[in-house]
Amino acid sequence: MVHVSLKAEPLFAIGPWMVTNSMLGALLVSVLLVAAALYIRRRASVIPTRLQSLIELPFEFVFGMVRDQGGRHWREILPLIATIFMFILLANWMGILPGVGTIGLIEHEGGEEVLVPFIRPAAADLNFTLGLALLAFVTFIYFGIKAHGPGGYAKAVLLPEPKLLSPLMGPIELISHLSRVISLSMRLFGNVFAGEVLVLVLLAIGPVFVFSVFGLELLFGAVQALVFAILAMTYVVLATTSHHAEGESSEHAPEPASGSH
Amino acid sequence: MDLTTLAAGLAIGLGGIGPGIGLGIGVSKAMEAIGRNPESYGTLFVPYVLGIALTEAVAIYALVVALIILFVAGA
Repeated sequence: MVHVSLKAEPLFAIGPWMVTNSMLGALLVSVLLVAAALYIRRRASVIPTRLQSLIELPFEFVFGMVRDQGGRHWREILPLIATIFMFILLANWMGILPGVGTIGLIEHEGGEEVLVPFIRPAAADLNFTLGLALLAFVTFIYFGIKAHGPGGYAKAVLLPEPKLLSPLMGPIELISHLSRVISLSMRLFGNVFAGEVLVLVLLAIGPVFVFSVFGLELLFGAVQALVFAILAMTYVVLATTSHHAEGESSEHAPEPASGSH
Repeated sequence: MDLTTLAAGLAIGLGGIGPGIGLGIGVSKAMEAIGRNPESYGTLFVPYVLGIALTEAVAIYALVVALIILFVAGA
């Protein structure tokens, strides 16, 4: 029988705080990222070593994306977007490593023997994805208020143009703003959790079948990290550009496209 | 066989139909655009991923409902 746990299992308690296995997973990713950052700070050279290129590769990818599409405030949001991308990417790919989710303690739960793994991929815990989504939410609200002022931003959300339709569009706009938190967090959680369950089920059928989805899991891990980062960036861009500014920017938009020829 | 299991299966199965059709249309149009004009890949990429993500959100809502039926309401 396949045992699936929706929530992260608690391992031990430090005072009143329960430490769950997904927290250990997130901590491991943080340690890896900090180690990579310290290495880059100390050993970075103009001619990159292999390790340096490996660390720079995802950053350069996000850098190019945010610079081209990040709007006016791309310099300010780049650190957040790049961190979100690399954190989710590493957290997702860590779930494919052997040992993650399979090494743990056998515990008895309602007469059944249940394996509680030491490390669970961080994004397979709703707390983690919800935290990231709330961070993205607060960030785009902050940039919106910074760009338009508190009243101006509230007006842009609640009373959108055209004026005649705003009683209808206002509530829709408000709900769409609030649902961003749910869709952001649930998308990441659903994909990673579904991936974990898929691997579990295939393991129960036959271990050989697991290899057939490893490539798929690698791809999905990267795509979901990318989607989260792009959405977080786009929400900031949407919050900072008003409808009047949009008309201006669309006039200037063709310039870089024609310059590339 | 428990009815809650059937309900969860129906929730995600029926909820996947719409997003499946939508994703198919979206991806095919993007491929068409890239096929006609390969240089548009760079400009298309972010709007493409955005559209895909927003279409997929509907399926995610169905998944959430299925999970709630299976783990919260059914237990």
